[in-house]
Amino acid sequence: MADADEGAGAPVAEPLDLVRLSLDEVVFVKLRGDRELKGRLHAYDSHCNLVLGDVEETVYIVEEDEEEEETIKTIRKQSEMLFVRGDSVVLISPQAPS
Amino acid sequence: MSFFGFDTTLPRDRGHPREAPGFGEAPDPFAGFSHRGGAGGDDEALEFEDTYDGLGDQLDETDDTFNDDTFGSSGLEAPAVGKDFDFFGQTAKVSDAIHEEQLRYTRHQPAPKFAQPKAPKRTGYEKYQIPDLQASADLWGVGSKQQAPETIQQQTFIAPPTQTSAAQALPKKIMSLEEVEAAMRTQKPKPKAAQAPAPVPPSYPPFSVAQAQALAQATAPPQQQSIPAALQAQVSNVAGFPVKPPAPNQVGVDPRFSQPTPTDVPNFAAHPPQILQRPQPIPAQFSGHRGSPQPRQILQNPNRQPVQPAPYPRQFGSPAAAGGFPGAPVITNPQQLLQLSEEERAAFLIEDAKRAKRNHKIFLLSKDNGLMTPQDKNFITRIQLQQLVTATGGLNEPGSDAALSEDFYYQVHNQIRGGPRQNPNQPLGHFAQTYLFQTGGRHGGPGGRRHHRGGDNHMQRMEQQVQRAVEAAKLKPKNKQLVIEGSLGKISFSNAKTPKPLLNIKRQESSDASSRVNADKKSINVSANDRKSILRGIESVYSTLMKLEDHERQMPPPPTEESDAASVQEHLEWRREMVDLNQTLWKELKVMEPIVPKLSSPTPHPFIAFLSHGKGKKAIPRIFRHLDQEQRVTVLTMVVVHLDVLDVVRGAHLQPNEQQLPVAVREEVELFCQAVMPCLFGYVNEAPLSIVTGLLGLVIDGVNIQSVAYTKVGVGILTMLISRAELVKQAGNVNEQEWEQWTVLYNRLFDIIEPVLGSIFPVSVHSSEDMYVWQFLAAAGIGASPEQQQRLVIAVKDRVLDTVLQSKTLPADMASQRLSNVNLFMRAIGLDVELLG
Repeated sequence: MADADEGAGAPVAEPLDLVRLSLDEVVFVKLRGDRELKGRLHAYDSHCNLVLGDVEETVYIVEEDEEEEETIKTIRKQSEMLFVRGDSVVLISPQAPS
Repeated sequence: MSFFGFDTTLPRDRGHPREAPGFGEAPDPFAGFSHRGGAGGDDEALEFEDTYDGLGDQLDETDDTFNDDTFGSSGLEAPAVGKDFDFFGQTAKVSDAIHEEQLRYTRHQPAPKFAQPKAPKRTGYEKYQIPDLQASADLWGVGSKQQAPETIQQQTFIAPPTQTSAAQALPKKIMSLEEVEAAMRTQKPKPKAAQAPAPVPPSYPPFSVAQAQALAQATAPPQQQSIPAALQAQVSNVAGFPVKPPAPNQVGVDPRFSQPTPTDVPNFAAHPPQILQRPQPIPAQFSGHRGSPQPRQILQNPNRQPVQPAPYPRQFGSPAAAGGFPGAPVITNPQQLLQLSEEERAAFLIEDAKRAKRNHKIFLLSKDNGLMTPQDKNFITRIQLQQLVTATGGLNEPGSDAALSEDFYYQVHNQIRGGPRQNPNQPLGHFAQTYLFQTGGRHGGPGGRRHHRGGDNHMQRMEQQVQRAVEAAKLKPKNKQLVIEGSLGKISFSNAKTPKPLLNIKRQESSDASSRVNADKKSINVSANDRKSILRGIESVYSTLMKLEDHERQMPPPPTEESDAASVQEHLEWRREMVDLNQTLWKELKVMEPIVPKLSSPTPHPFIAFLSHGKGKKAIPRIFRHLDQEQRVTVLTMVVVHLDVLDVVRGAHLQPNEQQLPVAVREEVELFCQAVMPCLFGYVNEAPLSIVTGLLGLVIDGVNIQSVAYTKVGVGILTMLISRAELVKQAGNVNEQEWEQWTVLYNRLFDIIEPVLGSIFPVSVHSSEDMYVWQFLAAAGIGASPEQQQRLVIAVKDRVLDTVLQSKTLPADMASQRLSNVNLFMRAIGLDVELLG
């Protein structure tokens, strides 16, 4: 109740309204293909297309060595600005400032 | 496969056998010849050699090359023949040639007495005019006359066309051999008598058997492989099994030709089921069959095969036999035909050829027939139409806000392009209409001869459906819910755009109000502290802010003296709206929330929380434009009062072992300095001394100055206030009393801050970011008394010297930068770094 009453201008009517709260905040975004992004959310749309700034991208790669032991490698990339196409977005999570 | 049940075949397997008669076509002329011979030898015994035309000798026994073409591409081994043997298809390929051959042959028959042979010949057409298994009574008569066992057999296979047998065939009836023979014996005299008037020769040509056998031998191997199929075909044909509805064209057969001729009349009279001769739908035929089981039918029954091994292959191999069944219905026709005038006959032949051609076409087109029933097709079409209708559904009136928000970019794009179709509903209507017209033309138009009723029906239903859908779509926006009288709930409609809400929770107004009160009470303690609610507050501020800016853009021309009342009214409306929005914005900023003593509440003031977020800070310049002076001073006051709890102050203290603030904090501080401070400056720079004094008083009374002084923002605020006071004083329009108050406050501030002056600089002397401190010192120095200036110099003397020394090691431009920073302060107290040498 309180949620809906709080801000008359920004009622939470749909899930993306919650994403809106994270605008200009640092968010954690999980993507398909074992990728994760952490960056400042500049913009989004109804398809979950995102524009992120100061992004750290983490890619997890599972590698099998000769003994068929699986090792997980992570690759990290830093990007100043990223456009993320919405169809790959799995989740968006607000990242409490640490 | 059961030969007795007849119905064991799959539906798809029935198609071909039905057309099986075509199978024996190749040797047709030969068979005809044999019949001709029989017909000719009315009185005398026929000699084989007299009538044998030697066609049999021409057969190349070894040349089986084209057997595959004729009988399908399966191997020669019988096992390879499956149920799906494409007998008809293979034959159809050469059907044209067969037709020609047969027509030619027909023409070559000069005398009416040869009429009969035509029956088998015409089998070529039969593959289309599917077989009402009528047989000519004449043949039956022939068979009966012979009375020889083998003739009986012969009759069995050649005579199948007899009316009697066909008419009386009863598929289900199975008789023992004895029964059959007994029945045959009783039966024979009857056809004999009945058929007496028939033009058929009374005696069956003996040679025909031999001929047939020879032929059978010649063609046996390939034929045998097809026996199952052929047999099946015969079985189903003879039984009159309704494999398929009769081809439509059959209905179209000129009644003339199917009418019994006078000669036939007695014959028909004797056998009522003769109706079958007419192109009636098979079911009727079938019921006719049921009446009386006849021997002929039993002979036909595969059951008999063991008893008649010899003729067996011949039965299927002989073109005459094979063609005989389906040819039967037409047998009478050629007879009639030949009795007709030349013109009529030609007309008939032409018509026949046409029919065959058309049937062939139909056959070619019919490959995929029956995959979908008309109902299926219409069902799918209706689904598509409905989707079309609901997709744009007329839910949103064109140009309405809803449409705009649904499809903003498309609408904008459309407006920019100025496309002719502004209204998304329009093309739909067009499309639907066009669609309906087209299909309507096809089904209901003059072309739709067939399926008249069905087609119209479907079209009607389709049109109704579309109409209903359109109407429903029109109604939808008006009532999105259907409340059935007496029901407890509501039924909500849905479409693609507005999915049906599964839950329809109506908020209670009363509880809403009460909860709002509660929320207000708790907001400071709980909600305001909640990060999410802060964020929500920021978003609502932004929403209002954007509305406000949008509204500002839509400002009507300000009223002048010439403006009429309407425009003035409009402007007033706009003003009022502006004020409303401003009030909303102000409320949402929560600046006026009661100030709770900091120590008693761990939660910051909502407005301070608002400022603790980057986007909150960024909003300030935009907000400030819309605030009046009173609101601005309120904001400024709030900031000053909470100076030490601002995130950029509270969080900007260096930890003991830190050389630099964390990046995030530095960014926030930078943002605050760039976004918020100019606004505050802007206001303070126009503020009268009384306000500045008041603000400084608030700082001194409510804030831990020494702590604040360690931060850039804190120092900045202090600098702002002090410098403004100096400027006001230098401007000269200050009364003594106010200045007195200010001086008192300034002295207090100086006393408080003096102990920390030496350490408020950024830790490293190498840092060039100490300008704000020098600015503060300069501002403080200007307003300071000589004694205070002395204390200032002493307090920061070390830093000044360090900076000057360090600047000497730096490149010239950086050095001068650093020195000019120091000079800000030095000159304020009447000194210069130059003096330090």
